[in-house]
Amino acid sequence: MTEEAPRPEEERKEEGGTREPRDAAYWARYAETLKVSDVPEGAAGINVEGRRAVGPLQGFGKMWQKTYRVRLGGVAVTPAEVIKTWKENYTEFWPEGNRFYAPLAGIAPGEVALISGSLPGGVKLSTGVMVLYADDESFTLMTPQGHPFSGWITFSSFEEDDATAVQAQVLMRANDPLYEMGLRMGGHKMEDEMWRQTLANLAAHFGVHERVETHIICVDPKLQWKEYRNVWHNAGIRSALYSVTAPLRWRRSRGSR
Amino acid sequence: MPAKYLEAEVRQEAGVAVIELRGEIDGFAQEALTAAYEEAEAGRPETVLLDFERVDYINSTGIALIVGLLAKARAAKRRLLACNLSDHYVEIFNITRLSDFMGVYPDRNSALEGAATT
Repeated sequence: MTEEAPRPEEERKEEGGTREPRDAAYWARYAETLKVSDVPEGAAGINVEGRRAVGPLQGFGKMWQKTYRVRLGGVAVTPAEVIKTWKENYTEFWPEGNRFYAPLAGIAPGEVALISGSLPGGVKLSTGVMVLYADDESFTLMTPQGHPFSGWITFSSFEEDDATAVQAQVLMRANDPLYEMGLRMGGHKMEDEMWRQTLANLAAHFGVHERVETHIICVDPKLQWKEYRNVWHNAGIRSALYSVTAPLRWRRSRGSR
Repeated sequence: MPAKYLEAEVRQEAGVAVIELRGEIDGFAQEALTAAYEEAEAGRPETVLLDFERVDYINSTGIALIVGLLAKARAAKRRLLACNLSDHYVEIFNITRLSDFMGVYPDRNSALEGAATT
């Protein structure tokens, strides 16, 4: 979770005693850096602990808005029920090959989840996300420095043409020049397939087997060259180094006993 | 009675296009926000100011819409400023790091002064 935990509802008052806006409980509290409170077996917090969360404005590459949507036609389920199911079973809906370690407290504002995945070329990747926002009908994950992209993923459900629709919307930039190259060389395709599969899995949970619609817009075609130094935090490189140096850490830990 | 959905009105003040926002900024606000921004842009101002005084709800989709406006403004080499954010929304701008790219002012007068001097 972030360094400052959300305050209880009854304490949520601004100076002067007035109640905070009704969206206040849904947002994570500000924290300078992310803090990993629990590292499950098989996960690594090396690219999350102490990192800053970054939005789509901080990255290096082109800014994209990618929307994936599926209608749950013929199923009597409300948007709130869909999002409750999604939050509670987030890990199960992810495609095979990646692992999402849900926070112990669940998908709640300020919580941090760890991810084990792979990049194009088979490079193993340890990273994570912070829950930026969560209400009854949507939730948003925000990435840390070093993640393949800087940005947000918003999962939502709403009524559309007499049916409940489910949507994942990614607003992102590649975090550094290496990731930008990777996204252009197959990374975008992998990512699109991942979210399409996630939505298809969620729809299948409700007995729906519809095609997932994809809509992609380039919001800003410019590269932000001043952000090239983000490569210092590149989680792919750091994960690879962490794996290579594992024997050294093992020997050091034995030597110190 | 407060507006539930977003209403946006554009005014010209001291060479700045001010968009007065009223109501909720969420996914349903896209049409109103985009129309207001296009109206503001039509006068080719150097600066567009978003006034949040009467905004009482923003969700993460709403913040993404503001990022979209910021991207448009930067592409056209315009400054996008914000004013009259409550303490809560200042915090939201900080956590989403919008404030790294947008000047945030406590009120409209200071924003107009800021636009004139920077």
